[in-house]
Formats: sequence, structure tokens, C-alpha cells
Amino acid sequence: MAAPNTVSEPFPIFALAHKYLLYEPDVISHVRSKHNMTGVLIGGLPQAPQQNVFLGVPLELMPEEARLLVEKKAAFIVDDVQAHKKGFMSADGKGLSPEERTAYQSSLKEKGLAAASRAAKQTDDRKKAALSKLAATGDWNDIPEDMLQLGSRSTRQKKPKVRAPAPDIKTSGSATPATDEEDSLFSVPLPHRPSPSELSRTTSIASSAPTPYPVTPTTSYPPLQCGLRPPPPPPRSSSPSSSAPPSASSSPQRVPTPSKSELPLPAVPASYPLFKHMHDRDYFLAPGLRFGCQYMAYPGDPLRFHSHFLCNGMGWDDEFALLDIVGGGRLGTGVKKGFLIGGEEKAEGEREGCGAVRTFGIEWGGM
Amino acid sequence: MADADEDVIPRSGPMGEDTDLSDETQDFRFLAALSAEDAKLPKRGEKDFEPHATALQSNTLAASRLAMHTALSYQRIHQPKGHTVATYHPATNMAYAYNPRGPLFSKMGQVLSARDDPFGDDGKRGQRLWLLPEEVLYLIERGTLDVRWPSLEEDEGEFGLPMSLQGAYAMFLGEEETHDGALTFERYSVYTGLKRAGYTVLRAPTWNSPGLPPKENCYPPLLRRTWQTGLLDVSSFWKRLFATEGSGHASHDKPIIVPGLYRNYAEIYRRLALIDFHDPTAQRQPPVPENFTNDPDFRVTYHVWKPGSMTFKKSAPGTPDFRIAVVDARKTRVPSLEQLGDLLEASPYDPPREGAPFSQKLKNGYKNVILAVVDQGVTSYLRIADSAFGRERLYQRTFRGSGKRGGRGGGRGGRGRGR
Repeated sequence: MAAPNTVSEPFPIFALAHKYLLYEPDVISHVRSKHNMTGVLIGGLPQAPQQNVFLGVPLELMPEEARLLVEKKAAFIVDDVQAHKKGFMSADGKGLSPEERTAYQSSLKEKGLAAASRAAKQTDDRKKAALSKLAATGDWNDIPEDMLQLGSRSTRQKKPKVRAPAPDIKTSGSATPATDEEDSLFSVPLPHRPSPSELSRTTSIASSAPTPYPVTPTTSYPPLQCGLRPPPPPPRSSSPSSSAPPSASSSPQRVPTPSKSELPLPAVPASYPLFKHMHDRDYFLAPGLRFGCQYMAYPGDPLRFHSHFLCNGMGWDDEFALLDIVGGGRLGTGVKKGFLIGGEEKAEGEREGCGAVRTFGIEWGGM
Repeated sequence: MADADEDVIPRSGPMGEDTDLSDETQDFRFLAALSAEDAKLPKRGEKDFEPHATALQSNTLAASRLAMHTALSYQRIHQPKGHTVATYHPATNMAYAYNPRGPLFSKMGQVLSARDDPFGDDGKRGQRLWLLPEEVLYLIERGTLDVRWPSLEEDEGEFGLPMSLQGAYAMFLGEEETHDGALTFERYSVYTGLKRAGYTVLRAPTWNSPGLPPKENCYPPLLRRTWQTGLLDVSSFWKRLFATEGSGHASHDKPIIVPGLYRNYAEIYRRLALIDFHDPTAQRQPPVPENFTNDPDFRVTYHVWKPGSMTFKKSAPGTPDFRIAVVDARKTRVPSLEQLGDLLEASPYDPPREGAPFSQKLKNGYKNVILAVVDQGVTSYLRIADSAFGRERLYQRTFRGSGKRGGRGGGRGGRGRGR
């Protein structure tokens, strides 16, 4: 489990097709913990591809979130389509230089190599665990004596604890992690019993240099560089494999010159003042379509907390039907949340965005 | 997490209609449990109400965040054994692969005909599988496919640089507009959500165009099949009865219910039914096709087949189980009757089972389509059905006693009348 690396601001938000995306897990964690923004994970998790409960990279930010981050100067917007077209597909020398291309490829090769040796080691570990289990069940006949040397009793006893939390995530479908049932007295027979020849083959692979596995990276930065990126990636990294390789770090002349040719601020709906108001008060806001409102307001990280309010933003002089209040109030009360409406109160002659936001909570009285 | 195991629901198996785990952010620490075989997910309700600044709470949150970060940091690695390489084709914004292996490819991708293939009939055409943008993106995300940029001269080997997930999003979604493609984020997230749930999803013919005017199968069949004859005859009998009554009402000089002897309430109710209703079974195909238009925001986008259908074939997919129209919640308002009407008109006639319980018939309707409303990556599915309230007459329920439930209802009605 690699702890998130620190992210230096401003970080890039990638815009494409009027959406605002984040790809770097470090940035996603950073935005979550430092800026109280969750966004919505819209990608699939390759380690658990057949479910919709846990999703993965990329993270889609609401335009409101992207706008607020840019206004706080914590982030800037990058036109990702142009960047990729220029970097990977222009043949006239404007794209990546040959050195950058080779650097990119060698960095991928490095990752692939690490992955290959990790995979080999895992197969090895699995074999050991399986063998020690065989030894424990007393089914001695099938295994040559020397094989028992691989797994000692201590490994077997430790195994359940070690296995449970971490490695399941890293090993995809290929590895079938041990479940608790396996440790019961009447253990299920193992589906796959390694034959000695197989075992020796894998160990030989592990000991010799493995061929690198092909890798599909998550982000394109590097090799691409966005104009404002602060120079080298932060060195305070506990795991070298997850940080960018030094060979691909940017050349000094491309470094932060906050250019004014940035993309325009993200267009936001009329409920933006309410969003900002709630966010300033440390609420986490998530899109609320599923609950029949504009935003769900959480008192803390939605990972841990239930939401308190269903929020709808309104213009100060907007007219709306009384039924909206009744409906919203009932809906909110029905799911044990408050229904909250709010808007920006504008005094005479004031510019937009300067007024105070006032909010009203509505609850069903149930007299 | 002892208490987490108490309230568990099986991961596979039918999801209750009111509990959708993806509604709320789930604790990523349970992902590990999910990857294990036969895993259980915790029910919702494991969260706290509000922060109370205890170390326990903040530690739990930190652990959840760390688990999430770890899950997100997963690297897509291709096993050499099942490694499939595809190449990006910028002109069409698609990707192609030669002889891809794996069960997923039996339901996606297509070999183009010599006329449609951008490379023409070059001998390898039969092995070349073209993948649509959403298919490529889904496969990359899943870690199944290794897509390469088109190779330049300086690249060694056959393939170009590996395309990252980010690059794939930038090209296959970001570039769609310039390619006149119709794949949007909303459409993609519906596609990938359904794929992850195991459905087979293909583009509908109305993907990028109004499509053909409603065909024969969009209207009730004219020929009566034998098993329908009885009931339909009854209804047409009533209809005839209506027609004569209707002309009687128009005269205004008689009371609606002429004084006389009535043996049951049904006859009276029938006479009271003055208001016309929309009858989906009475729609007929216009002899001359009308100028058919529909709103681009409300078109059937995907045809969807249930998971585990053994008969599905790419070349002849057959009738889809569901038709889904993807709607962007932030750009469109609640559809008007006209928009919904157009959408429903072009969907095939799918009457409820004869003799089904009353409420089920209303729910099923005579035509239906599913709206997938997407707000910032969060999808809600709504089923819109053309139900015929006018055809399900409450006072007539006693007459049809075919179904179990109908029979019970009839019994109740009978007792009521007897008193």
C-alpha cells in the first residue's frame, strides 16, 4: 500500500469534451483530502471489472469543482485532446522528441519488468503456501520430501493475516486469494496442485531475468508535459515504482510560466454560488441526481459519513412553486436528510458573485 | 469489521429494487473482499452521521482513503499469454486488432466488409477486427487491450508507443466531436456501466440519426394469433358496443343512462365512460410513411441483451431485451409528451402477457423504452412504458378469472356485489 505522494499546486485538470478529469491517483487523493472534493470516479477497476460498486480512474469533476479549484489557483485547465494530438500524432517534429519517446518506452519497460518479477514471485509464494498446506493436511504421499523445505510451518501460520489486507488488490483475477474457509480443519481440496516440474519451471523463471510485461499506463504525463507543470516530481516518494522515472522529468526551460493562454474558466450552472457557499463551510458536495436534488451535502468525506442535506440552488428572485418545497421537504425527510435551498442575495447595483448566499433548510413537520 | 459481516447481501443474485449499492460512496476497504471469490458486500449504513473528532473515526477514514488510493493506483499489466495489441486509427477514431483472443471479443468489434474497411481488401481484412471507440475504451479500462499510437518512422518494431488510459479518453471521447461521432461521456458511462454489469450492449440504428420511420413491428399485429382470439373478440365486442353508445351520447337529448333495468354495475359504468383514451392496441401503421423526425436528445442509443444469453451472436444479434436512450441531465429538461411520443412510436410493439395481473399489465405497457439519465457520471435508469389505463377496466376485472390474482380479485368483487 503506497501512501499518496504529495502533489504540488497548481496541478493540471484535463478538459475534454466539456468534462474535467483527473487521472493521477495522487492528485485524486490530494483533491479529496485537501480540497474536500470527491468528484465522481467514472472508470472501471481492472482488478474487479465486473461490478459497478467500486469504480476507478478517471475522476470526473463537476464543472463547479473545476471552477472553484481554478479560482483558488490550486489548479489549471489543460486541453487534453490538443496535447495528445500534438504529442503523439504530429509527424513534423512538434511532437515528442525521439529521446522523449525512448525515455517513455524504457520507463514502461522498467515497470513491466517490475511487474513480471512481482508476478513470478507471487506464483512462487502461492506454490509455497499450497505446499505447506498440503504438508499440514497430512497428504504427504504426493510430494517429494525436498519440496517441503519451501514452506516452513511459521509461514503457514502467518499466512492468513498477511494475505488478507494487501495483496488481493494488486493481484488481479490471476491470483485467487485465500479465504478464511481454507483454514478450517476440513479444508477444501486445492483446485490446482502444482506438480514438481511446474514448480521448478516457475522458480527458474523467477531466478532468471523475466521478460517485461506490457504495461498500459494510466496517465500520459510524462511523456507529455503541460506548460505549467512544476519541474521534477516530488522526491518524497516511498515507493520508487509509482513515481515518475527521473529520465522522463521535464527539461528546465519548459517550467512554470503561468501563461495566459489558458482555457476559459469552466462554465457553471446558476447554482454555483450555493455550491461555493456550502463548500466554503467544509461540506463535501456530490451530484445529487439520484436523490432528486442538485447536490448532496456531506459533513465530511462521503467515504465515512452520511449526507445531511439535499441542496438546490436558486436565483434570489426566482419564482418557484410551493409544491417544490413540499416535495423536496418530504423527499429529504423521507431519507432522513434536510432539504436545503439557497441563493445569492444581491443588493442594488452589486456585481454578480459578490452577494451573500443565504440558505434555508426545510423539514417536514409531521404535525 | 465483525459488524460488517452481519448485514450482508450476496453480490451476485438479484439486487433488491430499493438497495443499489452504487447509489452511495462505498468504503473502498471492502474492495479487497470483493475481489475474493464469493465475496459479500456490506449493506449501506456502515457510515457515521457526522464527524466527532475521535481518533477512531479519523483513523478509519484514513484507512478508507488509503485503500481507495491503493485501488486507484493499480497498474494495468498485460500477461504475455493473453496479450492483445490494437492500433489506433486516427482517421476513423477507431482501433483495430488482428485476431484478438478472449471471450470478450465474441460480443464486440466487427470485421468490416471490403468496401467499409479503411484499408480496403488487403488480404488481412478477415483477421482485422475493428473496435468502436466505446469498445476500445472499455477494454483498455478493463486492462484487456493494449492500444498503441500509430507508429512513426523512428519507432522500432511493428507498433507505436503504448496509449495510456488518459490518451484513450482524450482520443476516443475528446476527438469524437471532430469526427462527427456521437459518443459522449454520458453515452460512454452508460455503456461501460452496463458492460460491467454483464449486459451485452450494441449501438442502436438510431445511434447517430433519426433512423427509419416506425416499421411494422412497432404496431400491433393485424393478424390475430389463435391464442389471442378469445380475449380480443371480447374487447372488440365491447368496442362495438361503445361505438353505438357513443353516437347516442352525441344527441344530447337523452340521459346517459336511460332509466331501465340494469342487472349489474358494469353496464352502467360502460355507459359512463365518455372520455376517449389513447389505445396502444388500436394504432395502425400509416399507409404512406409520414415525415418521421425525432429529437436528437431523445433517441434510442443502445440495444441491450441480458447477461448470459447463449444465443447471442455478433452477426445476428436478434431482438434486444432492452432499448436504452441516454439523456444528459444537465443539458435536457424533462421530455415533452411529443418527445416521448416519438421515442415510443419507434420502439417495437411489446404487449403485456395476456391474462397477466392488472397492475403488471399497466406497468409493462404496450411499448417501452428505458431512459438512462446521466448527471456527472451518475446514472439513473427510468423505464417509460406506453400503458393503456383505458383498456384495463376496473369494473371488468371480475369477468376475467384466468390468472391467479385476477381470480382472487374477482372473488372479492363478487362478494361485494352480493351484499
